[in-house]
Amino acid sequence: MAINLSRQFASLVGLSAPKLALASAGSESLARSVVGSAVRRLGSSIEQPRGNPSGELRGEAPKEIRPQQEEEEPREEGGGEEDDEEEDGQVNKETGEIGGPRGPEPTRYGDWERNGRCYDF
Amino acid sequence: MTTVLPAGSGTLHYSVKIYKGQHFRRNSWVSVTAFKRCTQKDLSCAMSSSICRSHGVSKSLKTQRYSFSHFPFYESWKPSRTAVNSCLEDGSTKFFDFVVIGSGVAGLRYALEVAKHGTVAVITKAEPHESNTNYAQGGVSAVLCPSDSVESHMRDTIVAGAYLCDEETVRVVCTEGPDRIRELIAMGASFDHGEDGNLHLAREGGHSHHRIVHAADMTGREIERALLEAVVNDPNISMFQHHFAIDLLTSQGGSETVCHGVDTLNTESLEVVRFISKVTLLASGGAGHIYPTTTNPPVATGDGIAMAHRAEAVISNMEFVQFHPTALADEGLPIKPEKSRENAFLVTEAVRGDGGILYNLAKERFMPLYDEREELAPRDVVARSIDDQLKKWNEKYVLLNISHKPKEQILAHFPNIAAECLKYGLDITSQPIPVVPAAHYMCGGVRAGLQGETNVSGLYVAGEVACTGLHGANRLASNSLLEALVFARRAVQPSIDHMSQSGFYVGPSSRWARPVMPSSLPSSAMDDILNVTEQMRKDLQSIMWEYVGIVRSTRRLESAEKKIHELETQWEKFLFQQGWEPTMVALEACEMRNLFCCAKLVVSSALARHESRGLHYTIDFPHVEESMRLPTIILPCSTVSTTWSSRQLHKQPV
Repeated sequence: MAINLSRQFASLVGLSAPKLALASAGSESLARSVVGSAVRRLGSSIEQPRGNPSGELRGEAPKEIRPQQEEEEPREEGGGEEDDEEEDGQVNKETGEIGGPRGPEPTRYGDWERNGRCYDF
Repeated sequence: MTTVLPAGSGTLHYSVKIYKGQHFRRNSWVSVTAFKRCTQKDLSCAMSSSICRSHGVSKSLKTQRYSFSHFPFYESWKPSRTAVNSCLEDGSTKFFDFVVIGSGVAGLRYALEVAKHGTVAVITKAEPHESNTNYAQGGVSAVLCPSDSVESHMRDTIVAGAYLCDEETVRVVCTEGPDRIRELIAMGASFDHGEDGNLHLAREGGHSHHRIVHAADMTGREIERALLEAVVNDPNISMFQHHFAIDLLTSQGGSETVCHGVDTLNTESLEVVRFISKVTLLASGGAGHIYPTTTNPPVATGDGIAMAHRAEAVISNMEFVQFHPTALADEGLPIKPEKSRENAFLVTEAVRGDGGILYNLAKERFMPLYDEREELAPRDVVARSIDDQLKKWNEKYVLLNISHKPKEQILAHFPNIAAECLKYGLDITSQPIPVVPAAHYMCGGVRAGLQGETNVSGLYVAGEVACTGLHGANRLASNSLLEALVFARRAVQPSIDHMSQSGFYVGPSSRWARPVMPSSLPSSAMDDILNVTEQMRKDLQSIMWEYVGIVRSTRRLESAEKKIHELETQWEKFLFQQGWEPTMVALEACEMRNLFCCAKLVVSSALARHESRGLHYTIDFPHVEESMRLPTIILPCSTVSTTWSSRQLHKQPV
């Protein structure tokens, strides 16, 4: 499951695009925070060679996801559903979902969460 | 409240259909003990309503509709498809067959259907997409999987609702849900699919099957987008954005109240616009802003509930306010946000699931004191525990610490929280997250029958503003969008039927006093009023959080009642001292009076429930009482109350 860095960034771009499109239609704060974090990730990774500490923090994070996730224990609700990279149009290997949310299963702890923010419960 | 109609009515020109009450049970909710709480002798009663327990959950809200001989001012009017050009306008009075207040999923879904039968005005207080729907990012629940069943969905709903749900309502919603989803898809909403082409269904807490339909992580926004697009393209629907609804226009017909439309304030042009309609749908959403921390957008100030209460609609179950235990607490951030956050950032349960620990500000881990499951106790237990700690130590927030976990794991799972906190100088990989419970959803509201009908003729409700009996004492995840869709659809046929036999109210325009702009007030007075009102709102929110929070007690609730009454009196006194007239309107003042109204409804409902059930927990009655498994009903009654918030603007004493 080794995924190289360039594909990660490509997928991050892919993630931000539809959110940007929707930002014009709907709630700005949500789109802003999601786009903001995606854009920041890209921005700080580019800044990394300049030695920006916070950039380094984030820039490193995507790289180190891969080995860490392998080690994590399966979770209660969606044990094993905790899947990773999928671009829009890509299939979630565990659930067969197309174009769904990336990262761990949003409902794994009962509430509906994305990247740590809970939207419904 | 009595209204005098002139004698010597005109003759009828059309036939009258007498409505049979829907789903009659014993009408014993009428046998009510009226509570009139009078504080000091020179102050009128705080509550202009009576509260009762409903015996044998009655779904019928009216007995018979009276014949139109009571209404001398109606003319017959046949609707036609060419109605699009015939919505009359008379200065700043507009005439529509249907008026919809609110542009969330309930309002828009209804508008699209009734637009096939007449002209529709959708009134929305800000931009059309600005609604609680837009922020509903989880999903919609429905039985869409062959291995799932309506019975299972019903059971999950009723269990979550602590058995206070109305079983027929639950059955109707769970049964009709799947069709409503299919219709949305046909209208262009795109939900996530699986490789097999079927809808991808997630499973949220409380559901025993996978049944949550979603669009990545922005279901509400996707539904709102699809509906808005259809509405914009519909020639029979006129959208009036930035129109704030002030009061419903009602009259008395015998013992029945009839709704004829609504007065609004165009907040851009600062003009009053009166809408006369044959049918009105209230779909104005919730009232999160009675509390200081809420996930609701700023528009959610309980306008619909307050207007309906003033219009003598029955209100139900207001004590059941859903809180999320861990919202990001701005007060605990190193760099305070410049302006207060519009809607709370909820920190997911997954943080606790991943090992997050809750501490109070004295760095004590408190969850073990309340539950052996500690941080992984059910959400309402956690919410109560946090609330208890906050009250006990008189603090503003508690701490959720995940920094003992590997940095990379934290950033991988919770990048959103990490980014948000970092903006304000907090690094969650090394510091705890300040959290406080946030108000999220109102399970109660305007009491609705199975067709969305209310006890006010011509007034229907759908969505969060309604109390249909679906949620009972606690809402099951993802059921709110479903309820909105189902009830918006169900209200359509009765609305069309009602419209076909109604005429426009064409009586004297002085029938209802027109709201006026406060142009006679000097700008310094207006500035003072706005400043004081802003402060009053914060004071009210503090009282609600402090005394009507998650863990309640009779003593605190009674304090709340008294304090709110005092605050309201103080505010009104100030307003009128500045020269404010009772028929004047301004957005902030009208919102304030609605907030006062909703706050009082929540407090009186909470006081009336002598048990703890679902979201309502009181230390004086900490257990569930089977004999109390009844909805809380608030009826309007003849009142001596003269607060500005409890009377419609056009019924203010002169």
